[in-house]
Amino acid sequence: MKRKVMTRVIASALTVVFMASTLTGCRFGFASDPDDPNEVEEKIPIDTSTDTFEYDPALSGTSITLLNSKAEIQVALEEMAAEFEKKSGVHVEVMPVTDGDSPYTKVVSLYNSGNPPTLSILDTTDVIALAEEKAEDLTAEPWTAEAQEYLTEVNGKVYSFPLCIEGRGLIYNKTVIEEALGETFDVSAIKTQDDFVALLDRLVAAGIEKPISMAKEDWSLGAHQLQYIYETYDGTSEGAQTVIEQLKSGELDLDSYQRMTEFLNMFDILKKYNVAKGDPLGADYDEMAIDLADGKTAFWFNGNWAWPNLEEAGAKTTDEYGFLPYFLNNDENDFANQMIQGSPSKQVMMDGQMASEQQKAAAKEFLNWIVYSEIGQQMLVKSCSLIPPFKNNPYEPQDPLSRDIYQHVQDGTAFNASAIVPNDHWSILGAAMQKYLADRCDRAELTESIEEYWKQQK
Amino acid sequence: MKSNHKIKDFGIFALPGMFCFFAVVIIPFIYGVYLTLTDWNGVSQTKNFIGLANFAGVMQDKQFWSSLLLTFKYVIVVVILVNVIAFGIAYLLTRGIKGQNFFRAGFFTPNLIGGIVLGYIWQFVFSRVFVGIGESTGWSLFETSWLSDPNKAFAALVLVSVWQLSGYMILIYVAGFMGLSEDVMEAASIDGASGFAKLKNIILPLMMSSITICLFLTLSRAFMVYDVNLSLTSGGPYGSTEMAAMHVYEKAFTSRQFGVGQAEAFILFIVVACISGLQVYLTKKQEVEA
Repeated sequence: MKRKVMTRVIASALTVVFMASTLTGCRFGFASDPDDPNEVEEKIPIDTSTDTFEYDPALSGTSITLLNSKAEIQVALEEMAAEFEKKSGVHVEVMPVTDGDSPYTKVVSLYNSGNPPTLSILDTTDVIALAEEKAEDLTAEPWTAEAQEYLTEVNGKVYSFPLCIEGRGLIYNKTVIEEALGETFDVSAIKTQDDFVALLDRLVAAGIEKPISMAKEDWSLGAHQLQYIYETYDGTSEGAQTVIEQLKSGELDLDSYQRMTEFLNMFDILKKYNVAKGDPLGADYDEMAIDLADGKTAFWFNGNWAWPNLEEAGAKTTDEYGFLPYFLNNDENDFANQMIQGSPSKQVMMDGQMASEQQKAAAKEFLNWIVYSEIGQQMLVKSCSLIPPFKNNPYEPQDPLSRDIYQHVQDGTAFNASAIVPNDHWSILGAAMQKYLADRCDRAELTESIEEYWKQQK
Repeated sequence: MKSNHKIKDFGIFALPGMFCFFAVVIIPFIYGVYLTLTDWNGVSQTKNFIGLANFAGVMQDKQFWSSLLLTFKYVIVVVILVNVIAFGIAYLLTRGIKGQNFFRAGFFTPNLIGGIVLGYIWQFVFSRVFVGIGESTGWSLFETSWLSDPNKAFAALVLVSVWQLSGYMILIYVAGFMGLSEDVMEAASIDGASGFAKLKNIILPLMMSSITICLFLTLSRAFMVYDVNLSLTSGGPYGSTEMAAMHVYEKAFTSRQFGVGQAEAFILFIVVACISGLQVYLTKKQEVEA
């Protein structure tokens, strides 16, 4: 009898717990369930009928490895590797970098264990750190001609293959803006910071109380936002380098540096209209995608890599999203107000130390295959959804964010500048930016911590 | 003849264990100490001997010392809370209340969930569920996410760690209480000892061996906290909850100063070893036989 009562109590307790968890689940809104069996995975068909690429039969049977640090393209890369193996006989093993491991740490530990990957997808800073010690010189490869302006050189030599272009700015949801204002939205009409603020005010008047989402993550604040102060110096990587050198030597006073003031002005605008203004450091990244897709906000500061998040939040590839520049001032002719930042962020480095000549040749063939074969070109764009940096690639990206960046690149309204900063820049200065975002420090303290950081770098 | 046996026994029983211990603990440790004296960056082929320069780097790393201080604060709070709570709950769960086995299992469960997962679950609780409660009730305590305020984020870390660690300690204390001899307790009652006097003069001394183990485990686990720290606050907001172990990792792998990071790890090791050694020595002295 006693037993029975106990069981009943436990059973009802469990029911309550489950009920509660289901209810909270609804209340706090999960995005679509990734494991839903009814969800049909849409795949863009790859046309494999034409292939004019010449394979070297001597390489058939070679096995190479590719370390992938872009988790979202793991499956697509595996498909690419399978397709390449079918055609060339070269086996490409795609190894993912697990969450929590940084790609650099992974590569270094693989090198230390004497088993480095033949190819590895890394960030530009990582390539520069490893290039001369470990990497194969790729200067003489034919594809370098197709990506002239996107090559990264270390002492005049090319050590890496630019895999894709990534761009960032203020993502807007065109439909939301049009519905709120009741008129068609013309992006090109927004030319200055004042125009942008006027648009925000109209949106607020139209009922979108806080139209902007801004991530509190240190990589977003420290790398993607703050790095505008280097990259908008003159819109080139060399210019960014100049600013950094001056900061290191202490020559540049950030308080009087125009771009710093302008950047903070824009940052203050974003802060003011931030949907999470009450608790900016409590903002949730996934929720931002949902807010933008649902129309609670109209803008989100991010890059084209945010598409998978938006898609998960319910956005469709037919929806209209695009980028606005990070407006720095009211000068219509300032390139920073007209152009979107877009640069090659992921690079493929080839091992030059442990790989055999046969493996190197096979890896080189794989890279050329991506650039020159009809199948490789298609798969880079369609399967991986990347923006190709290669001029000869005729395919256009499918998702609206990448398409917009692609369009900017084609129209010449993108500037290719990437600041090469130390690896802990995003984390240390990201924390400083978080402090400023939460109003726990003023501009003077922020600029001081930036200057302090740079002085410590040798 | 006899010594031959000894060598054979040693070879069969001790050698494999010793080999593993040396291979995965002692040799890497010595090698690690050696690395603190070099300028190796994790990649290059050459390692130059640079003496104590890395330790000088540690001295200049203000962030390390402040994170070490924060770790001390965290350890003190966590060790006291975990042990008091675990001791209390274990006491209640050995008095024969209904469903005590169910409760024991229930309290132990958090300990079975890995720290990373636990951190993410609680992150959701602090930044969504609590905020949701705050919005609907208007309680100012829950209005903003706990994780966006340095003090509350620290409290959140303590809360989650206590919640996780207590279950394990409850188990050890329960075992301790079960081992208490009924005769002694009964004798004390007959002698007219009150509840508090029994606790102070009989239960605590007899439980000292459990307390030694629990203190040691909580001390070392609290000092080395990394997983919960990483997944719950990841050092935020703005680096204010970065504990020593996490700072060491960041220094070595994010800032890529392997030498300095390794030197900091070594210092952390010495601090933890000294403190837990001292604790074991002191509490061992208090242990008595019934």
